[in-house]
Amino acid sequence: MISYIGKRMVAVIPIVLFATLVTFALIHISPVDPAEAYLTAAHIYPTPEILEQKRHEFGLDQPLLTQYIQTLQRISRLDFGTSYLTNKPVWDEVKVRLPATVELALSSMVLSIVVSIPLGVLAAMRKNGWIDMLSRGISYFGASIPQFWLGYLLIFFFSVRLDWLPVEGRGTWQHLVLPTLTLSLVLIALYTRLLRSSVLEQLQETYVQYARTRGIRERVIMLKHVLKIAIAPLITGMGMNLGKLLTGTIIVEQVFSWPGFGRYFVEAIFNRDIPVIQCYVFLAACLFIVCNLLVDLVHLYMDPRISSKGRTEQ
Amino acid sequence: MSVRHRKTATIMLVAILLLSVILGCAKQENTPASTSTDGAANEKSITLSWPRDIGTMNPHVYNPSQLFAQSMIYEPLVSYKQGGKLEPALAEAWTISKDGKTYTFKLRKGVKFSDGTLFNAAIVKKNFDAIMKNEKTHSWLGIVSVLDKTEAVDDSTFRMTLKEPYYPVLQDLSVVRPFRFLGEAGFPDDGDTSKGIKKPVGTGPWMLDEYKQDEYATFKRNPNYWGTAPKVDKIIVKIIPDGETRVMAFEKGDLDLIYGEGVISLDAFKQLRDTNNYVTKLSEPVGTRSLLLNSSNPKLADLRVRLALQHGFNKQAMVEGVTSGLEEKADTVLSKNYPYTNVDLQPVDYDVEKSKALLDEAGWKLPAGGTVREKDGQQLDFELIFDKTDPIQKAMAETIQAEWGELGVKVNLTGLELTVQIKRLRSNQFDLYFWYNYGAPYDPHSFINVIAKKSFGISEVLSALPMKKDLDQQVHEALSSTDETKRQELYASILKTLQEQSAIVPISYIKKTAVYQKKITNFVFPANRDENPFEGIEIGK
Repeated sequence: MISYIGKRMVAVIPIVLFATLVTFALIHISPVDPAEAYLTAAHIYPTPEILEQKRHEFGLDQPLLTQYIQTLQRISRLDFGTSYLTNKPVWDEVKVRLPATVELALSSMVLSIVVSIPLGVLAAMRKNGWIDMLSRGISYFGASIPQFWLGYLLIFFFSVRLDWLPVEGRGTWQHLVLPTLTLSLVLIALYTRLLRSSVLEQLQETYVQYARTRGIRERVIMLKHVLKIAIAPLITGMGMNLGKLLTGTIIVEQVFSWPGFGRYFVEAIFNRDIPVIQCYVFLAACLFIVCNLLVDLVHLYMDPRISSKGRTEQ
Repeated sequence: MSVRHRKTATIMLVAILLLSVILGCAKQENTPASTSTDGAANEKSITLSWPRDIGTMNPHVYNPSQLFAQSMIYEPLVSYKQGGKLEPALAEAWTISKDGKTYTFKLRKGVKFSDGTLFNAAIVKKNFDAIMKNEKTHSWLGIVSVLDKTEAVDDSTFRMTLKEPYYPVLQDLSVVRPFRFLGEAGFPDDGDTSKGIKKPVGTGPWMLDEYKQDEYATFKRNPNYWGTAPKVDKIIVKIIPDGETRVMAFEKGDLDLIYGEGVISLDAFKQLRDTNNYVTKLSEPVGTRSLLLNSSNPKLADLRVRLALQHGFNKQAMVEGVTSGLEEKADTVLSKNYPYTNVDLQPVDYDVEKSKALLDEAGWKLPAGGTVREKDGQQLDFELIFDKTDPIQKAMAETIQAEWGELGVKVNLTGLELTVQIKRLRSNQFDLYFWYNYGAPYDPHSFINVIAKKSFGISEVLSALPMKKDLDQQVHEALSSTDETKRQELYASILKTLQEQSAIVPISYIKKTAVYQKKITNFVFPANRDENPFEGIEIGK
């Protein structure tokens, strides 16, 4: 097991390398000069002298290869450099904002699990019943509505009209309610349908028929046998989505003025704040890799038929 | 009731109780203290929103510090007021030597920084030195390139000497950054403020009280302020990046004021105005939306073509249609509320027939059965580039495309990211371009400066005008002239030439918007485009 994790961790290096290379290339393909973008954002007219000075300051006058190697060297020391915009170390800026994003992502994940597991199971058990129709409705709504629009709708009803919850900001758990709902609805939609079909599939299996003939109660069959297997695709989905959630809070953070990492990143893109962009991509790449690894480990734990060598043994 | 039903009922009851507790609590927000005007201590505060964090509040650096907030804490020597009037601020009076090179400022006595330390010539000199240490960063501002030396003559006299005369010195000193003054306690040990300051200490009416990055900032009154103390005790700035959220927070009553340029959409502004529940205001023009017709393009080098294009679209209808009357049709490139710009100029009116006649005269004829005019086998077509994130530019570009299409002029539209658009302007790679002047206190002198000085993109646009050299000479003379009458004449001549040449086509005057709750009174837009509007603002019942 440990050697498996070790091997997987080593595999992280080329993936991260690739991610930084792609980012680096994309930034430099872009027709916008970061020094110029900085000056434009600062409302300073980019005269040739100051452009030259800024390029030198940012190290943009160095050959591309030197720039890339320097970037890699810094990242390998977990030094993400200094933000062009604020002149502060990127990591310090990220550290302040990361907890807000993690908080939002985790609460959304928890809410989506709490809602979708019972809803998915009940929808499968009462197929075509009212609860199944309800879950279908929620899924349809959740999957098709754009997140920013849902955010506005929620603010409009719960904050402006009913005056129950704050419009924006962070501080109390009340501030967390609407952004969490916004983020988790799409996950609930996804997980509910996933679990429903997976439970339905399991219910066709012979072991369920056998258990029924043995007179085991339906609830026990469901909880002790079916769910344990049916939940596997859900775990894969969640693992993939945790990374997506952390990187996907951008729109929701913007709508709810949530002071997180996503908002910071958006601003960095507009200002071509390269060190911040690189830091973000690096963290996102690591996060996706770690989430994938976690999913595999959970599968390994839950289904002993899967070996750590990655093949299914009979 | 069966056991099972009793159980369900209990669960329901607990759920309802929980929900009511949640919702009960939800009404108490804990973001900045005392957001309401009838708070415990009867404190009068105003809450507004801003799209971005206020920044480090360093008076000598730019992004990410926000101009309006910097202007709350730091003050200039000279203040820019309505109509371009320059009034004493930290300098009580000033004299300018006959040759226009020496400026002597008598500093206001008894001025203290918010920490109680004295404001004097020594600290003025220290600030100037810190600013000039990073001369290149500030080279966009005219005064920086002509400033030769500064001296603290005595405690209340500060003198600066220029390398050559440059009349807009006082205007440049009135801008929000970099020439404003940080107290001694704010300076870093090495005196280099470009790398950061210890704390924001200024002489202005406000001081930073609480601050949470990306969330909010509160400003309270500076107890040592030399001028009339603000009427309200506190200004709370909530950072809300999204325009729609800002509007909803305002409707909920969380915000008292939404102020600025483009901070909410024109639709939202109209919607709030139409409810009649709030006060809405539009400022005087703060800048002009113009269309550049690049004369370095051989087709546009012909004055008849440029005039035909300006005659050829209904400016009034377009501005009203696209901005719902929130912008005003512009007949001249600079509005008349700047110094030297109140000049009688002949507007170029909407006249399709004249436009067609001019194009015919210039040799661009419609071929039989064709829709695009041609001359020597070439089509009369142009590329209009616009900022693709700006809905107004996009709608205007489409309108112009349609109207000129009727004349037989083909316009290809290219939506670009703003930074790419600016790059194209600076490298002179465009035919048609939306451009804005800088507004007060930068104009009119910054405007004429870019006409003559290369690398801003505007001088290049005008490069094929037959009188370009003469125009540049006039600009140079106007900027260095010490004679007020002569300067006025030069401005009149420059503006007249530009009006006749039709290479910079004025479209509309941009205005700032303000929406506020009815309890706010005495709201006045600042004359300086970048300053804050909190001076004199009051809260009624």
